[in-house]
Amino acid sequence: MAFLEWLQQLPYSIWMNESSSLWAFPMFLFLHTLGMSIVAGGSAAIDFALLGLWPRDSLKSLKNIFPVLMVGFAVNAFTGVSIFMKDAATYGINLDLYIKLLFVLAGMVLLVVIRRRVFDNPEIDRVALPRNARVLAWASLACWTGAIIAGRLIAYVGPVPGL
Amino acid sequence: MSTTHVHLLLNHFPTVGFVMTIGLFAAAIVARSDQLKQASLVAFVGIALVAIPTYVTGNAAAERLCVAEPGEPCADPAVSRPLIERHEGAAVLSLAVMLTTAGFAWLGLWQQRRMRRVPAWNMAIIGVLSLLTMGLVARAANFGGEIRHPEVRAEQGPVSPEPTLARSIAQYVNDEAWTWIASETLHFIGLSLLVGIVLLIDLRALGVLRSVPFAALERLLPWAAIGFAVNIVTGMLFFVARPEFYTGNSAFYWKLIFVLLASANTLYFFFDEGWAASPGRDVRLFTKVVAASALVLWVGVMYWGSMLPFIGNSF
Repeated sequence: MAFLEWLQQLPYSIWMNESSSLWAFPMFLFLHTLGMSIVAGGSAAIDFALLGLWPRDSLKSLKNIFPVLMVGFAVNAFTGVSIFMKDAATYGINLDLYIKLLFVLAGMVLLVVIRRRVFDNPEIDRVALPRNARVLAWASLACWTGAIIAGRLIAYVGPVPGL
Repeated sequence: MSTTHVHLLLNHFPTVGFVMTIGLFAAAIVARSDQLKQASLVAFVGIALVAIPTYVTGNAAAERLCVAEPGEPCADPAVSRPLIERHEGAAVLSLAVMLTTAGFAWLGLWQQRRMRRVPAWNMAIIGVLSLLTMGLVARAANFGGEIRHPEVRAEQGPVSPEPTLARSIAQYVNDEAWTWIASETLHFIGLSLLVGIVLLIDLRALGVLRSVPFAALERLLPWAAIGFAVNIVTGMLFFVARPEFYTGNSAFYWKLIFVLLASANTLYFFFDEGWAASPGRDVRLFTKVVAASALVLWVGVMYWGSMLPFIGNSF
């Protein structure tokens, strides 16, 4: 816990916590929402495509979306850590936050697995989909839904900063 | 110009505008004209969207009209809170049915584009719902007029306070904390669906995903519309439950303006000829401009939504 206290006392954390500027915490929260919509929404679109809502002969055309999702993830890793630092001692002991992080981790792993198994195959528009492609898509949808639910609940369950 | 002026200006769209649109819709059926039909469907969607700021500015006008503690008579004896709340209750019902009509009208536009025709069942649903909406809007408008015009009131004398639909919904949401939290969560899931799919469409138009066929995007479009619908419902639930959080909040009005502009932009895509471009082909410049502005507008909607607790007093 000493580490969490130390983290929370860093000048950056104090700025995030105490600044009344719209460019401090409010901007980070907005960017975190934006990143979420890109990663979760973009993943959902890929999952829908794998589940049959996409012409079977042009899956490969979706491949360039992956770098965009990675940018969204990078934004959220940065803004998420920053928001965590603001109230590290409280967030650090919130079980719900760790549940959310597990969902996010699983969602990102699934995203990489889907890219490797499906989209990295240059012949994918002509050969059959891997047999577990549908399972991967459903699991990915479940993970991002879980991440959003658990993420929203951080403001309400466990120790909540400011309450 | 105050929000009361805006309310008095906007209320002509859901009333007069909607009746004219029903006329247009009927004319399209008689004349068997696809263009008239599309025009009337666009008008149904557009008017339902304008009905949202109409509703919202109504609460703002009510706060100016009746300055009083809850349960107390208004400072101005010519108006009474039960009359205002009766109007509000009728308005929220008509808004809900009008938005449902708009949902089927949107589906009709999508069907017209994808299958070249709107199935008879959907034309029938739109017809019935639009007539029902018209009746409910007329009732809401009538109650609205009675707030300031005692001479047109059906029954004279004071109106007794009754629980109205809007206040009952508000009571329920405020008493049951989980409804607010669940709506917030659904609002985030809805925005992810909407933004994820809009992002795909705009990246195709801008050339990042040039080899994506537009026909594939059209198939995903209803999921973006479902996300949008979820967010209209949950968003209105927040407003109806706690209007005082939003009526004085500039971020909220900016958010509404951005939602309207972004929706208009998205509706335009139903008619953009750039969508005829085959996979791998660049679209024309105008389509790219529309796509880029769509991204800016939807990100703007999210920005103003995020700023609600920080610029105003809501959360």
